[in-house]
Amino acid sequence: MRRSSRWLVWPVLGILLWLVLYPHLFVVGDSVWLDGRFSLEGYRTFFQSRAELEALWGSLWISAGSVVLSALLGVPLAFLFTRFDFPGRTVFGALAALPVLLPPLVGVIAFLFLYGESGIFTRTVQLVLGLERAPWRLTGGWAILLVHAYSMYVYFYLFVAAGLARLDASAGEAAESLGASRTRIFFRVTLPMLAPSLGAASVLVFMTSMASFSAPYIFGGGYRVLTTQIFTSKMNGELTMAMVETVVLASASLLFLALHRRFERGRAFAAVGKGTPAARREVKGKGARILIPLAGVGGVGFLLLPHLTLVLVSFVPEGAWTTQILPSRYTLDNYRMLFTSPQLWTPVLNSLQMATLATAGNLVFCFFAAYLIVRGRFRGKGGLLFLTMLPWALPGTVVAMALATTFSANEPWFGRLVLVGTFWILPLAYFIRNIPLVAQAAIASFRQYDPALEEAAHSLGASAITTMRRIAAPLVLPGLAAGGLLAFVGALGEFVSSILLYTYRSRPISIEILSQLRSFDFGAAAALGVVLAALMTLVFAFGGRYVRAGATGAARG
Amino acid sequence: MLRTLRTSLILTLALGAGLAGCGDDRDTLVVYTPHGRDMLAHFGAAFEEANPGVRIEWLDMGSQEVLDRLRSERTNPQADVWWGAPAEIFELGARDGLLEPFRPSWADQLPPEGRGEGDLWFATYLTPEVIAYNSAALTREEAPQEWDDVLDPRWRDQVLIREPLASGTMRAIFSSLIYRESEGTGNPAAGYDWLLRLDAQTKEYVLNPTLLYQKLARQEGLVTLWAMPDIEHLKATTDYPIDYVIPASGTPVVIDGIAVVRGTRHPELARAFVEFAGGETAIVTAAERFFRIPARTDIDPAHYPDWLREALEVIHPMEVDAALLREKTPEWMRYWDSNIRRRGRAEGF
Repeated sequence: MRRSSRWLVWPVLGILLWLVLYPHLFVVGDSVWLDGRFSLEGYRTFFQSRAELEALWGSLWISAGSVVLSALLGVPLAFLFTRFDFPGRTVFGALAALPVLLPPLVGVIAFLFLYGESGIFTRTVQLVLGLERAPWRLTGGWAILLVHAYSMYVYFYLFVAAGLARLDASAGEAAESLGASRTRIFFRVTLPMLAPSLGAASVLVFMTSMASFSAPYIFGGGYRVLTTQIFTSKMNGELTMAMVETVVLASASLLFLALHRRFERGRAFAAVGKGTPAARREVKGKGARILIPLAGVGGVGFLLLPHLTLVLVSFVPEGAWTTQILPSRYTLDNYRMLFTSPQLWTPVLNSLQMATLATAGNLVFCFFAAYLIVRGRFRGKGGLLFLTMLPWALPGTVVAMALATTFSANEPWFGRLVLVGTFWILPLAYFIRNIPLVAQAAIASFRQYDPALEEAAHSLGASAITTMRRIAAPLVLPGLAAGGLLAFVGALGEFVSSILLYTYRSRPISIEILSQLRSFDFGAAAALGVVLAALMTLVFAFGGRYVRAGATGAARG
Repeated sequence: MLRTLRTSLILTLALGAGLAGCGDDRDTLVVYTPHGRDMLAHFGAAFEEANPGVRIEWLDMGSQEVLDRLRSERTNPQADVWWGAPAEIFELGARDGLLEPFRPSWADQLPPEGRGEGDLWFATYLTPEVIAYNSAALTREEAPQEWDDVLDPRWRDQVLIREPLASGTMRAIFSSLIYRESEGTGNPAAGYDWLLRLDAQTKEYVLNPTLLYQKLARQEGLVTLWAMPDIEHLKATTDYPIDYVIPASGTPVVIDGIAVVRGTRHPELARAFVEFAGGETAIVTAAERFFRIPARTDIDPAHYPDWLREALEVIHPMEVDAALLREKTPEWMRYWDSNIRRRGRAEGF
């Protein structure tokens, strides 16, 4: 990084300190502030309690397991869809990203309708095998892992796919011409070059699992994790304990991030060369010709089941589906009610508007932040990275609570404004929560291309701005856009912080779904969920085109 | 690509700005409430009709969530009225200074336990807790008739319980049963034992009421403990095969209330709404249409719907020390969560 762009550090750092670090200091403060004085009593109680330690271990194991399972699912799929050519590749490749498009609340519940004890899949198996009782109950640690793997492998899939798109094929070809076997090339060339993508995805999955609430809550069946403990403490009015649990959770997440950093340090990943992605291989050989597409299509079909279940539920009259495998009656009432209600479109528009605002902010901010983190040469770079990752280490509820505390008073000198109860607090929360996702995507992209390109531009007389516009932006765009897309659909359906911060005027779709669920209107909630999922799919379909266009643009440039 | 992005961004913002612009100039009263959209739509419209120039906006959420929100909005209160929560939760709100004193004209018609200290909240409805069962799988006679019957080996793995910590209803049931087992001493040991045996019977703790009804209707379990008005409402509005038994030995009765939020921007309107919600017309309508049992004692039973008159004959409120329960419930629930949840089987029950 050259001197002329060093001033960038200040606005980026300023925003991070003010919006990310500052609110969370209130959380730490609350964990050690008891009856008006400093006390570590909360921490002592925590580390002496069997239930709390059980929860800590539970969280760690679940998160580690989620990383492994998600990688096992996401990485092969990414290879399958980027490296091989077969009929239907484009369509199914896009569909493989579908789990992120499952709306919150009803999405998890669709899982219950499918694999739960009285779910379609479970009852079918029971019928086929002639069993008297359901063959399994979707509960406990493994159930949480299953749901996590399903919803989080997308990070591996998208990041690795983007990594493969940026990967320079010449290194592999060089190794091949030197006589290396395919396996050797895979392990010694391809995999190391994908390390930034794999690392970024692992960090995201680990932190998301640590902060995941609905899966352990709905499927855990008493399996203790920290997020459910926080909820329990809060419900029971023990706010100090809730804060202690939060700080422990965040520390564990950040420790993982630190380990990842240590592992990454000192390794140069950037591909030197012109960056031509490997050509897709036609699938040859009779067996493989059938097997590979079959594996891809079958896998994707399996991933689509929860969405289909949701659609099915949206056509069922309330209370009509009890002991049958499939519903016996269908109705259009749920949709009729939805589309004739004048109140429907307000939350939809609210969500679109807030997600757009937040994501636009994320794209601009994270581009510069990532640039500084990867290319910058200044003291405290690690601190900058730490700050961009911090929101991910904290559960959504905590981010929301921290914001609600910080922005509830008008003290401009202390950087506090009244935002609680206004429209702006929700886009702000979405923005903050999605910084890590978009930043990680951008950082991985920056790491993967050679700084020599920028140096070349500089030596040819390009200004810092021109270099950024003509070299950095196009090369980083595919990764950045992938991150931005995930952030956008995430914000569109965001629930956990929304519930604490929404106002009547800014109520998002997820809150409307919750409201339907609260009035025992499962079908209507599912119908609204289908509308949300359709909206997300639309965004993804259009956005996906841009990502691909950007990728080819970058490859050409 | 960038151009397309820019265009769509501008479009969205314009769209949003256009929407935000078109409010109306009526006074807006914001009500936080768990009573559900049907009831709110009805009473909201009725109140608007009686007060031209006023618009009601309600946020529908659980009573514990209302408390959380009021706490976080303390410096910039958004709500005017808090309508609906068990007395225990109103007491917490009162302790945190979230409520504004107001004594409605109907306050004197309430029993003493329905009047919050310092006029901070007042009772509207009573919620008896009952034993609910799947009526497609069981007849009324087969269903458990008493609290202790639920511990019968027959119901092992057939009992579903709504996640107790998040539910005012379940907290009331658990703490009342602990109190009952202590035989008036308030010593929770015997009650813990009872709950341990219940835990051994319990198949699952269910996240929210909607899921509870689903699972009960789908026969994942056959028996649960739940609030009577909710089941009446379910019977009237859906096809769920769910019915209930009122235990003759006594049933916990939760007092549900209403309060003005401290720092309300429309104090006059907020008071008018409280006055309205507890007024005779609204209370009778709530009983007729939404299965809420009046807390006021002055209403002529002739106005009551049939189900309510029948129920009132059978309901026998469990004797409890309300003040002790309010004080001890958090501690008992914490103990339950750490030492009873999912330990029943391990303890040999």
